[in-house]
Amino acid sequence: MKFHWFHLMPYPYLPNDFKERYPSVWVDPPAAELYDPVRGHQVYNDYLDQLEYAEQVGFDGICVNEHHQNGYGLMPSPNLMAAALARRTSKAKLVVLGNSVALYDPPTRVAEEMAMLDVMSGGRLVAGFPVGTPMDTTYCYGANPATLREKYREGVELIVRAWKERRPFAFNGKYTQLRYVNPWPTPIQTPRPPVWIPGGGSVETWEWCIKNDFLYAYLTYFGYMAGTAVIDGYWETVERLGAEPNPYRVAFLQFVGVAENDAEAEKLYAEPAQYFYNRCFHVNPGYAGPPGYASIATIRKGVRSQVRDSAAQVQGKLLSWKEILDRGCVVAGSPATIVDRLNDMADRMKVGHLMLLLHFGNMSHETTLYNTTRFAREVMPKLRHRFNEWEDKWWPKDTLADIRKPAPIGIAAE
Amino acid sequence: MFQSEIVNLFGGRKVEVHHAGQGPTIVWLHGPHGVRRNDPVIRELAKRHAVVAPVAPGFNDVDELDEIRDVHDLALHYDDVFEALGLDGISLVGHSFGAMIAAELAAHVPRRVARLILISPFGLWRDDHPVADLFARPYTTIDRILWKSGEASAEMSDPANFPNDPVEKAVTIVQGLTSVAKFIWPIPDKGLRRRLPRVSAETLVVFGAEDAFVPPIYADEFAAAIPGARKAVIADAAHMVPYEQTHEVMRLIDQQFGGSVRAA
Repeated sequence: MKFHWFHLMPYPYLPNDFKERYPSVWVDPPAAELYDPVRGHQVYNDYLDQLEYAEQVGFDGICVNEHHQNGYGLMPSPNLMAAALARRTSKAKLVVLGNSVALYDPPTRVAEEMAMLDVMSGGRLVAGFPVGTPMDTTYCYGANPATLREKYREGVELIVRAWKERRPFAFNGKYTQLRYVNPWPTPIQTPRPPVWIPGGGSVETWEWCIKNDFLYAYLTYFGYMAGTAVIDGYWETVERLGAEPNPYRVAFLQFVGVAENDAEAEKLYAEPAQYFYNRCFHVNPGYAGPPGYASIATIRKGVRSQVRDSAAQVQGKLLSWKEILDRGCVVAGSPATIVDRLNDMADRMKVGHLMLLLHFGNMSHETTLYNTTRFAREVMPKLRHRFNEWEDKWWPKDTLADIRKPAPIGIAAE
Repeated sequence: MFQSEIVNLFGGRKVEVHHAGQGPTIVWLHGPHGVRRNDPVIRELAKRHAVVAPVAPGFNDVDELDEIRDVHDLALHYDDVFEALGLDGISLVGHSFGAMIAAELAAHVPRRVARLILISPFGLWRDDHPVADLFARPYTTIDRILWKSGEASAEMSDPANFPNDPVEKAVTIVQGLTSVAKFIWPIPDKGLRRRLPRVSAETLVVFGAEDAFVPPIYADEFAAAIPGARKAVIADAAHMVPYEQTHEVMRLIDQQFGGSVRAA
């Protein structure tokens, strides 16, 4: 099993009465009123320190993602964060989850930037391509929901082809026309970096990932118990298409809080968890389902929007720490408790890549480092062996043995 | 009940066209609810007219939208429909989304449309009077912004008129709204203002005075942009004005088309 330290980069200073005063944390919470860029300076740098620390204590990957106009996701450009991390790390893989391809014209911009990251990092890039949430794509970036998925897939196919082709080529697509596709630089990893697709529970996405040999990542904020149904659907699709049931073709996201015991877990993690679920995850349900975003097949299958479902669950009420634990949103407690729960998760879901949210909500820098340290020392070693019998084919293979480290040039005294 | 036919167009396109009534021909382009099996406005029009009501692409099957990429393709698609039906110099009434299509058709192919009524049209934009975001709400709640009372009339929510199964109900609404969204996302302004001076039809613009989706000030915008157009704003009605004030709308249609509507 591999372990990845995932940051959402929430803004930790939303007011206590945020939920009463503002209809949504996403799309239209007024930035000039709520966001303080001077505090933001400290926040970004703390968060980058945490990601770098995760490498030091042995996490396999460090993850950044893309959100727009969002009070709990301060990375409109994940590539900028990954670039900062590329210079300051040398072992951890940079899991960029990802670039919402349909938002970039031409999509070759994404091929260029990701190849830059791969070269700068010495072949450590995992290239994530989410279609993007309705909030990010259709409301914040004005993408047409009726054509978003088709445009996205065309863009991903163009990027992958641009990395593989040996000669410049012309691309006459429905959404992108380019006379000369020939991005510089090329990635170190050949024929391309591993591609991870973060997605919801859409049947078409599962089939597309399996057919193209992309990893499927299910990013839910509601934990493995609620997520099992979706992952089950994925494995059924793998079986139906006759693909290899390799656990490393799937990644899953889980909030975790490690402590001495249950009491200390509550003391450390109840407030940040409630900050996330009760303040951050407050999205106007009207933004969750623009027409055309979900296919008719998905609607008929009854796979509903995570945002809308969860919003319906938490709208208008505040979740207690006990409810957060009972629902399995956060797995918290002693290392032994967490090992048990994550073994249960591994048994049920057969997920080879575990992405951990060890910072959430307004968790302090010190608590985050404590949580990260204990997870790395007391949880990770006990789960490492899981799925050892499988080969991970969705992970960078061409990482350079000798990574060029930053070598600052001092100014000689005169 | 209406008679329905499937009309085949080149490129593999198929269009469902409903027919009702007898008399001079009148073409009805529906709004975001599509054509309900017992649509009260078509029923009323059919008392004195031969009504021709094509279903907009996407409303029956979203795949129909694949190769109708923008409003220009959409306008030409309708020109193909009327060519196939042998209709020229038509008397055309559009409501809501259908009114936008009617305006685009009359602007793209002016000779196709002789007389035009635009009821609650959109397609123009003023920063000081924004058209409301129809989509930024759960789609099962769009009636709240479309009807003056905040809910659909009994006839329009009649299960005989509309699937009862919640999933199929959602699919019906989503298919229609996907089509609307495709041509107006994220702002319903795709250059129609530049094209409206091309319209040569005798035109009447009708709004409900309490339209909360498209503010009735757009009656002035459309009337000013279309040469010689007149406007009528109907009290005690919102975006669904033909369903909310059916008799008043029928009176305006009769007045506008008068005896000049040619025999079918």
